[in-house]
Amino acid sequence: MTLLLELSGITKAYGGAPALSDLSLAVGAGEYLSILGPSGSGKSTMLRVVAGFETPDSGDVRLEGRSILPVPAHERGIGFVFQGFALFPHMTVFDNVAYGLRHRSRGPVSDEADIRRRVGEALELLGLTGLGARAVSQISGGQKQRVALARTLVTDPKIVLLDEPLGALDANLRERMMIELKRIQAQLGGTFLHVTGNEQEALAMGHRTAVLDRGRIAEISPPQTLYNRPGSVRVARFLNCYNIFEGTVGDGAFRFAEAALPLPGEAATGAAAYCIRADKVTVAEETDPAAPGEAALPGRFIASEYSGARVTYLFDVAGSRPVEVEYHLSHRRPRSFDAGRRYALRWPAADALVFRG
Amino acid sequence: MPGAAMRCAGRRRTPSCSAAEAGTAMSVGAETMTEAAAPAPVPGRRTGRRVAALLAAPGALWMTAFLVVPIAMMVYVSFWTQKTFTIEPTLTLQNWGTFFGTSTYLSALWTTVRIWLIVLATTLALGYPVALYIGLFVRNKTVQTILLVVCVVPFWTSFLIRVLAWRPMLGTEGAVNILLMKLGVVSEPVAGLLFTELSVVIGMTQIYVVFMVGPIAFMLSRIEPSLIEAARDLGAGTGRIFRTVILPLSLPGVIVGAIFVSVMVLGEFATAAALSGRKVNMLGNIIVTQVGSLKWAFAAVVGVILTVVMGIVVAGLLRLVDLRKEL
Repeated sequence: MTLLLELSGITKAYGGAPALSDLSLAVGAGEYLSILGPSGSGKSTMLRVVAGFETPDSGDVRLEGRSILPVPAHERGIGFVFQGFALFPHMTVFDNVAYGLRHRSRGPVSDEADIRRRVGEALELLGLTGLGARAVSQISGGQKQRVALARTLVTDPKIVLLDEPLGALDANLRERMMIELKRIQAQLGGTFLHVTGNEQEALAMGHRTAVLDRGRIAEISPPQTLYNRPGSVRVARFLNCYNIFEGTVGDGAFRFAEAALPLPGEAATGAAAYCIRADKVTVAEETDPAAPGEAALPGRFIASEYSGARVTYLFDVAGSRPVEVEYHLSHRRPRSFDAGRRYALRWPAADALVFRG
Repeated sequence: MPGAAMRCAGRRRTPSCSAAEAGTAMSVGAETMTEAAAPAPVPGRRTGRRVAALLAAPGALWMTAFLVVPIAMMVYVSFWTQKTFTIEPTLTLQNWGTFFGTSTYLSALWTTVRIWLIVLATTLALGYPVALYIGLFVRNKTVQTILLVVCVVPFWTSFLIRVLAWRPMLGTEGAVNILLMKLGVVSEPVAGLLFTELSVVIGMTQIYVVFMVGPIAFMLSRIEPSLIEAARDLGAGTGRIFRTVILPLSLPGVIVGAIFVSVMVLGEFATAAALSGRKVNMLGNIIVTQVGSLKWAFAAVVGVILTVVMGIVVAGLLRLVDLRKEL
């Protein structure tokens, strides 16, 4: 994979508050890179620096090996899809999509027949054929999203930056657009940089997923690796599917409150965080003996939350936030527990992750 | 039969659907008919209408008494017969003949239109950049408000003082001439600054420019910054972005500002009287003179003409932009 976009040592502060601190990132040509970042992690700022709407305080942005910092935003040839779509309200769908071709300063297209053909192709790619004459106010939110995408793609950008592109859509539409986006990227073979605060979206969309934390990339891996083996406790926390206990490692076990959990492998003594994914935990009667190689923790049942394909059970555990246990209904039967009763929470010790605190 | 099935599918009523498919299409059809024929009466609909009438009544009465009736009177009186000091309700076209047969009055009409067009152009040329700065470049709402308030500071003094203050500014020995002489731009004082059409235009521009700035700044401040960024990202340079995005989106503000300025300038007489030394006569000045000499019927003719001109101008401006849609 050839290197397309490279950010090195980018720092940007707003009035003393750092948004990006020494951020480095390399994006390959044809890659779909999703970037997961909680709000305030600097993810929008990063995209705005690449697009040229913001100038970094230090560091360099290289596209195809050349620094683009001296190049003004309108000459960078980078596509930006805005969270709120930013469609021109006084133009039709067609004119919105044709905007870049007609008005760009580098190589504008003056042949109307050519514009009609290319806009027509873009509308077709996004399934918007027949909507060209509509006013922007006359189309639905999902269609606006598609128009915004068509408007960017028609200009044939070197890289497409998507700033929380699905954030303004409802859940149902979001899933459909996720599939659409992947199809379009595969069909065009372009490079997409997709920023989101939603862990499901980040894992589903990217060839690789990067986690942005406090203005720098905390980790960048394929989604499966990131989900199964996050590299740090902060990343595990962002993924929103791990139970995390804070305690210490000593005498060959992880200890917090009164509990002692077997370690998955070697771990240095001292303060540590112990992470176990919610769907790895099973619930057993307190009296049932634990199998060898299993970690066990007593917990008092609080409540359950049913959400179609899975049930999440919440257990109160001494010295920790409520522990989540997730039963995916495709391979586990739902159970009913008595509120307030104590149960044993078990999981294979090898599935746990221990990080130095 | 397929029709009945389709209706059923549309209404999602499975039990009656199977019944319809079994051959009771008629009854389903009848049911649909009754549903359509008897819409449930909206309770309180008549009360709502009465409340609406009650709310509209004071305004309607006021407008009838003080706008519709006076305008009708003005049109009527313009056809009355003028005696030396009185008017009589004998209908005649004489006053209208006098207006269109006298070059003084026709030239006043032309002067009014000319000054209106010039002031419209100068207020737009001076006001738009100010509005652009306040509405688009200042993104802090508080600072925006402060700047707009600063624009209306001149209104804290009386209209007459604002107009008359131009005399010591523009006179032969006025501030502008002193400055020009000191700077060595001219050796003799420029005489044509005061008591000319130029001074009238300068005075009116200063007074009315703020009515242009306000609406334009308002429209510009509503433009999402992301729209401009999107245009830039799509490759457009600053000039293009202004022409294709900023200007069209601010146009409703320009139209509203133009209506404010037009209505006020067309009806003007005080600035023209004070700064032209009575050399520049607009329709408003004619009305003042005629009323002063008790020529009510002729004043009514000029009044009707002025009203018609304003009507045409406002209607024309409103045709340019659909304000109800844009605002």
